[in-house]
Amino acid sequence: MAETVVEGVRLHYQRLGVEGAPLRAVFVHGLVMDNLSSWYFTVANALAAFGDVVLYDLRGHGLSERPAEGYREVDMLGDLRGVLDATVGDAPVILVGNSYGAFLSVRFALRHPERVAGLVLVDGHLGDDDFGERMAATLSLQGEEADRAIAASFQNWLGRQSTRKATKLANMARALVNGTSLVRDLRATPPLTAADFERITAPALALYGESSDVIARSLPLVARMPHCTVRVLPGCTHSILWEATNEVKTRIVDFCREVRP
Amino acid sequence: MNERNNLSNTSNAANDNVVLADLGTMIREVIGEEWAEDVPIEMETSFAKDLELESIEFVALAERLKEKFGKEVDFAGWLGSMELEQILQLRVGQLVEFIVRCNSASPTA
Repeated sequence: MAETVVEGVRLHYQRLGVEGAPLRAVFVHGLVMDNLSSWYFTVANALAAFGDVVLYDLRGHGLSERPAEGYREVDMLGDLRGVLDATVGDAPVILVGNSYGAFLSVRFALRHPERVAGLVLVDGHLGDDDFGERMAATLSLQGEEADRAIAASFQNWLGRQSTRKATKLANMARALVNGTSLVRDLRATPPLTAADFERITAPALALYGESSDVIARSLPLVARMPHCTVRVLPGCTHSILWEATNEVKTRIVDFCREVRP
Repeated sequence: MNERNNLSNTSNAANDNVVLADLGTMIREVIGEEWAEDVPIEMETSFAKDLELESIEFVALAERLKEKFGKEVDFAGWLGSMELEQILQLRVGQLVEFIVRCNSASPTA
């Protein structure tokens, strides 16, 4: 299995497509009930037809290691940098982030602008939305109520009909939320500000679901980016990657073809 | 029985059985749990319904296939060409047929 070790933490990644292609895209998934497979089964393969594509599991997620501590922003950004170093090197990439993955991508672009050729934010969780509080509230529920809340927050296609999987995912989520410093570290994560977004010079694409619960706080922020195209998808919630897979895929592929350095 | 399930009646039946056995081992490895040791994995077995394979386990399976059969078996690309609903309906036999087809298209592999 393709892995790299960053600061002692084993991270699982997948590399698809054409190694060394001028278009390099790195996918960053969302928190807790998510992993790289969400990108793998929706958008990544379409880009791999002509690009050099990397997907990785955030620490604590998917097939990456789950350390008890170390979910601060600085840790998460270090992981992303480590995965880039192990794959495409320091060549600029297009970062494609979903939900919290979009937040991390923006942070990375602020810290390492020379390494980011473009940004795609898919229902990016960008405003001061109290990540930690919300996650903790959902996952402090017990028994069947908790399983329902978890299932609802995870729209993964294979999760719809499987009891083994629901239980396994719920157990993983609890281990991450109750057994690590994730929630505490998220609570301590400073929010992004309008001034942050004004500093982002890379071309960007922001996609939001019309009824997304994060759109109200995030949209005014992305609008501050000097080179950002915003698209609001009618009839969709926060889970646009699952609700409008084909449209999200097409828009990302078109954006990447345009931005290709 | 519908025709789609009648996969073993091909001229590649012997090949199919070898690939099926390899695949069964790999699937049990990626599930990595005790109960999986006893679950029959046959041509008609459904990945989602019978094996309840998680999407991240599919990814791990794709990587094992690449290691075992080489780049000719582009499982990731094959999955990428399907709609999600098709993947949900996927049976082990369809993957066996795909692997056999890829291998016979490139006998040097």
